[in-house]
Amino acid sequence: MGQFIQYIINGVISGSILALIALGIVAVFKATKVVNFAHGHLILFGAYFYFTFSVVLADAPFMPAWVSSWEPAWLIAYAGDAPMFSPRAAIASWVSDLPRILLGLVGALAANAVLALIIERLIMRPLLGQSAFAMILSTVGLIWVLEGSAGLIWTAEAEQVPALGPNFPIRFQLFDQNLFLFSGSLVNLLVALLLFASLMLVLRYTRSGVAIRATAEDQSTAYAMGINVPRVFSTAWLVASTTGAVAGAILASRNGLSPAIGLFGLSVLAVVLMGGLDSFAGVLIASMLVGILSSMAQWKLGGGVAEIVPYVAVLVVILIRPHGFMGQEEIERI
Amino acid sequence: MALNRRTLLKTGAALTAASMAPGIVRAEGAHWRVAASLPMTGPFATAGQLVAPAFSEFEQQVNDNGGIGGKPIRVEVADSGYIPRNALANFQRAQAAGDLHFYYGDSTGFMELVGPTLTGDNAVMMGSTSFASALSDPANRPYQFMAGPTYEDQFEILLRDIANKGGKTVAFVYSDTEFGRDPIEHGRQVAAELGIDVVLEEVTRAEGADIENHVTKLAQANPEYTILQGYVTGVWPQLIGGARAFGLTTQFMGTFWGMEKIIADRVTEQAGPFLDGYQGVMPYRYFYDQDEAPFYQELGAFKRSVNPGFSGYVTAWELEGRLCLELWKLCMERVIEADKEVTPDNLMAELGSIRNWDSGGFFGAPVDVVDNKIGQGRVYRYDAETRLYNPVSDWIQV
Amino acid sequence: MITGHFKTDYSADEGIWSNWPKRWGLVAALVGLAIFPFVASNYALLLAGQIGIFIVAVVGLNVLIGYTGLMSLGHGAFFAVGAYTTVAIHHEWPLTFPLITLVISTVVAAAFGVLFGLPSLRVKGLYLAVATLSANFIILFLIEQEWLAEWTGGISGTETPNAVFFGVELVSQQAKYFFIMPVMVLMLLFAQNLFRTRFGRALIAIRDKDYSAEILGIALFSYKLKSFAISAAYCGAAGSLWAYFFPAILPEDFGLNMSITLVVCLVAGGMGRTLGPIFGTILILLVPELLKIVAASITGGDATAQTWVSPTRDILFGLMIIGFLIFEPMGLVNIWDRFWRFMSRWPFAK
Repeated sequence: MGQFIQYIINGVISGSILALIALGIVAVFKATKVVNFAHGHLILFGAYFYFTFSVVLADAPFMPAWVSSWEPAWLIAYAGDAPMFSPRAAIASWVSDLPRILLGLVGALAANAVLALIIERLIMRPLLGQSAFAMILSTVGLIWVLEGSAGLIWTAEAEQVPALGPNFPIRFQLFDQNLFLFSGSLVNLLVALLLFASLMLVLRYTRSGVAIRATAEDQSTAYAMGINVPRVFSTAWLVASTTGAVAGAILASRNGLSPAIGLFGLSVLAVVLMGGLDSFAGVLIASMLVGILSSMAQWKLGGGVAEIVPYVAVLVVILIRPHGFMGQEEIERI
Repeated sequence: MALNRRTLLKTGAALTAASMAPGIVRAEGAHWRVAASLPMTGPFATAGQLVAPAFSEFEQQVNDNGGIGGKPIRVEVADSGYIPRNALANFQRAQAAGDLHFYYGDSTGFMELVGPTLTGDNAVMMGSTSFASALSDPANRPYQFMAGPTYEDQFEILLRDIANKGGKTVAFVYSDTEFGRDPIEHGRQVAAELGIDVVLEEVTRAEGADIENHVTKLAQANPEYTILQGYVTGVWPQLIGGARAFGLTTQFMGTFWGMEKIIADRVTEQAGPFLDGYQGVMPYRYFYDQDEAPFYQELGAFKRSVNPGFSGYVTAWELEGRLCLELWKLCMERVIEADKEVTPDNLMAELGSIRNWDSGGFFGAPVDVVDNKIGQGRVYRYDAETRLYNPVSDWIQV
Repeated sequence: MITGHFKTDYSADEGIWSNWPKRWGLVAALVGLAIFPFVASNYALLLAGQIGIFIVAVVGLNVLIGYTGLMSLGHGAFFAVGAYTTVAIHHEWPLTFPLITLVISTVVAAAFGVLFGLPSLRVKGLYLAVATLSANFIILFLIEQEWLAEWTGGISGTETPNAVFFGVELVSQQAKYFFIMPVMVLMLLFAQNLFRTRFGRALIAIRDKDYSAEILGIALFSYKLKSFAISAAYCGAAGSLWAYFFPAILPEDFGLNMSITLVVCLVAGGMGRTLGPIFGTILILLVPELLKIVAASITGGDATAQTWVSPTRDILFGLMIIGFLIFEPMGLVNIWDRFWRFMSRWPFAK
């Protein structure tokens, strides 16, 4: 039982990251009816931007010393000679990394936002009014463009980036079993869920949120009602790229920086369809489910099976509920 | 590099040559031609970029010393992106452009793909980055060799070392790739023979593995030793970091591609000294181990002469590429000396007859080439303080 | 001047090769195909073989996407099924006649096509695309499993047999070329004729509006499944040829990358036409290789230059796809049509 809960915890943590990624795909789909196959590569850029700002820039010679490593006297006193991986040492090293983490996050968010606006303006908008098929394929083309550009700008991988939160193991007892999780993962979980919740609130209660929902409902009516639809498109891409940047930073700190982050976005696509393309709540449920199922599969069946869990799950769900858990059924008129 | 009339003409000539030159019309060129596919981009770009200097420097060094048998060499490197089919296209393009005397492939997949085509006129002596066991097979793969022990051998070296130290339990953690799975079967057998229990076999993704779940499973199984296989730049540092943070005491061990000092140093620099104590098998001496290694000293001096900013360290990955080239050169010289024709068959015959060869640095003891491989290796241990891999075993022959 | 569709009977009106440029163009193409292997190097034959095989697959995909309007991102799986069936047949009965293997592989792939097509009853568009994509991953996962490794070679791939015709083993790429090209031409002819039948017109009706088609009396489900089966069969045939053409196959060959490349070839060429896949495949498969050769001769085989050559190639490739979608959504075949429309009026009008 204790083991079971351990894997549930692990699953929820990876599920929350899936949800954060899926959020971007859903936001873009709701506003523009485009399923962004290149979202994973947007995340890849977020990860590389985070690396650029938090490692390359922070260690650059012209930066003040406290950016790369902030060590006020009280911090050194606090750290003392705590052993590596103890909570105190982890917190101390996190605080001393804090300036670079903040620099990295701010830089990644800004840079990714600019990137998304460029993509939206140059590629997606000229395709407005084309078939959904053409829009999807253009995002497929975008995959190559982004992958190539990343290869040109950042040639090497295998870099480490600072984690968003202090990382030490937390142990506790449940049903007479020793359970554990990493505090860094806990921070990631909280960040992901907070972002998810706040975006849902924004969509429900703010003007631009209502504009997005109205556009999702019916583009031409939204236009007629005076909503600036192109601006809605840009907003949606902004949401996708900024949440993507955070997701990229989390993924890079968990697994190391590598071009493989881009491909990760594709398995998330399966998760999104499982939840329903236009439903945030459905996608959250699907993400958690896939996270937990993958974790269980890893536990009982091994790594090979865990990798195809999202694909099997989405097939089963689509066959039973063609529009996912909570997706809206499209009504066609002849 | 500017696009002027001459480069345009050259491009045109290259295009025509590549598409039209029939395989039969092969003029004896003024060069010995060596070509290679390297993963300059894609998942293993770091490795490819670190290996690449071996080729240009080999060309320069050999030509500065008068070539091989008085004839200069020419080296061409193409990018494969670590996709076997791209490498195959690169290989056939290189073949179409004239006589080819040596080829360096960049993945097990490519070597398997190209293997059956190496017959008759298409045969070329071929080394690679791969230590896959299937390539050490003179009967079926008469033209492919490896400059070290197979992954199976490397596993065996590790397991024997564990047995020598009285280890009783071991876990295999490997990536879900052909490279990761290669030695596992053999590892099980050897472990059984040596009386070591394999308490866990964990398959992970090659990149972006789910560290928490893997650490949880390792903690449950609680092995004394954990052997990692099938990783190059990623996953293994995160896995070790996770396990250390969790407080696992298992001894982690790796094989050739997971034993690079540059990666370990980078991890230590950026994430802390948790790789301290990590062990693994390495067929070669690290480059800083230059006592009685004239070749290493010479290579270091050469690198310093062409690049004043040379750090003084050459990656083991680059050394592997260089060793393949050196073995080819050795065979070429012996064939030419014996006044035989330079054919792949003669070259491979020379390679197979190498006995008691003093490599001048790469290997600790003189080596033999048996079954198109060199079955020697040693266990090293990483020290995060000095940032060096230090030997903890003698040279083990398999 | 090539005007003058002067027809005196109905059979002439139904003909495919209705005017002399088409007829002579066909003859010229066939002659060119026959001469090519005698002047080309191994490398050029490698590309030609690959293109020929891909054309078969893309024509099949065209039946599904271009004519029936169903989206698939999983056709790499049928390719894999075809290739591995061929290998498995030769594993059990080493001396099977290649054409028999080809037919069996095609049929097996078609069966898988029906299986994949089942979701098409309930889902369309994007959902179907992701359903097929998932199926692709699952098929590859099965191929990599150890309990199938005796026939598939598992994750490390397997060597493939050579085709043997009446005691003549096709070893060289030149010989293999003469196996691939006739098959390709036959399958192209079949596809071209398919859409002059009631069945083909029904598929087109489904593409244009499936519910309207149903009202006209077309059994949607059975036609969609048949469309899936036919397109899978084409890919299966292509897979079988692939297995004969290459000395070894690896599961990773048939992944998402292949599935997407197939779709991209189709889009670049133009959907819903038979010429489209031919143009598109040639363009998509040749351009990266040409860029490689051009880059290599500019940089002179310098290794460090490679680090920017392939990313640049990727970017150009991606931009090409996007450029087609924005500026020429009907594909290359539309440019071709415009050219001939111009030619047929020239010199009297533009």
